[in-house]
Amino acid sequence: MDNMEYIDNYFNHPNTAEQKQEFEQRIIHDVSFAEEVAFYISTHNVIKEQLQIQQKERFRELYEQQKEALPRKQPVTQIWRYAIAACAIVAVMVLSWMLVSTSSSPEQLADAYIRQNWKTLDITMSSEPDSLQFGLTLFNAGKPAAALLQFETIAEKDSANFSAKKYAGIAALRQFQYDKALFYFSELAKDTTLHSNPGKFYQAVTLFKRSGTGDIDAAKKLLQEIAANDLEGSKEAKQWLRRLD
Amino acid sequence: MSFDTSRIVSSDEELIQNLQENNLLKRKAEDALFNRYTYFIKEGIKKYALQEDESFDAYSDTILHAIDNIRKGHFENRSALKTYLYRIFINKCVDLLRKKTTNKNSVHQTSSIPDMLMLIADPAKTAVQQLIERMDMDALKNRLQELGESCRKLLMLFADGYSDKEISVLMEYRSADVVKTSRLRCIDKLRLLYNVKRNSDG
Repeated sequence: MDNMEYIDNYFNHPNTAEQKQEFEQRIIHDVSFAEEVAFYISTHNVIKEQLQIQQKERFRELYEQQKEALPRKQPVTQIWRYAIAACAIVAVMVLSWMLVSTSSSPEQLADAYIRQNWKTLDITMSSEPDSLQFGLTLFNAGKPAAALLQFETIAEKDSANFSAKKYAGIAALRQFQYDKALFYFSELAKDTTLHSNPGKFYQAVTLFKRSGTGDIDAAKKLLQEIAANDLEGSKEAKQWLRRLD
Repeated sequence: MSFDTSRIVSSDEELIQNLQENNLLKRKAEDALFNRYTYFIKEGIKKYALQEDESFDAYSDTILHAIDNIRKGHFENRSALKTYLYRIFINKCVDLLRKKTTNKNSVHQTSSIPDMLMLIADPAKTAVQQLIERMDMDALKNRLQELGESCRKLLMLFADGYSDKEISVLMEYRSADVVKTSRLRCIDKLRLLYNVKRNSDG
């Protein structure tokens, strides 16, 4: 067993008191071994740090989303007045919803689309390179951050790999990294070689999902363009535009 | 919303169980845990006079620290999950306050170094700690980028809590032993890259 294996075993398996003592004695008496231990720990730490950065980015998105969803605080004296008004509005909304059960908000439309189409991604036995398949496996295993890293690495190395860009956009969206998702989908939309290119439609989905200032108008424009030119996603585009009218 | 995962896991027990398993629910459980106590961030702003970003950092670090401990089985259910998290959060806030007043930063340090060093007793621990402090972490990060895709993947998955066996399935290796051998070779290769660069710089 070489040193690195010995060190790996020490940190990843239970040790007896004797094994611990032996390990510590080697550190004290063998500088080169101690350096290997220090390197092993540092490597692990650096990688964990990178993983944590990815995780924190995801948390940031969740937090921003939660903040947007939270109502602003109102003075206590006005609460009852607002509560009554809110009840009336809710009643009207419920009735309206019952009457027009097919209407939805842009965000709900995007959510439904994401749920139906991107909860998991198809792993086909196609000519796609193994590295892309691995990214898909990670995504389906609930590892969108690792999958995104994988897709981005492929897209970086091969700028013509539009599948990688498409999946990078989806993985970014799955983690609420809207700007990144829009970047990859707009890159995808630029590809003129694809027989059918969903780039513009995916941009619209992302904008609906984010629903920030100006997003819905921008998404509607994209959907109108898709519907008018019968581009990829035109069926959904037409339905959505009807429902949002 | 489709990504609102807080409804997926309800009890502390379920949440902890899902955090400990390497399946689809693990990531969802992480998000659910984060979403559940975000009001701590306001506490950090009110009680410790932190900026919102600072309080967010303290809270995110709290969640990451807790997830790490739960995975390692260090959370023993001696207190409610909320109490446990709140205690960590307060410590992170105090760390941040200290950083603001004394310019010392401990809140952004990850728990991995102390955790692994806990498995070594003094004086060996101090010796290793001193060696770590002498290392050039930026150079190590750069060499990691040069390591090659499959090596980086292997090391990242392992650091993310996947076992060699799970990695062998994900990356289509023949067995867990092959993964382990490859992983250790990757660390050796990284060390070589790091030392070559250091020697050429020095």
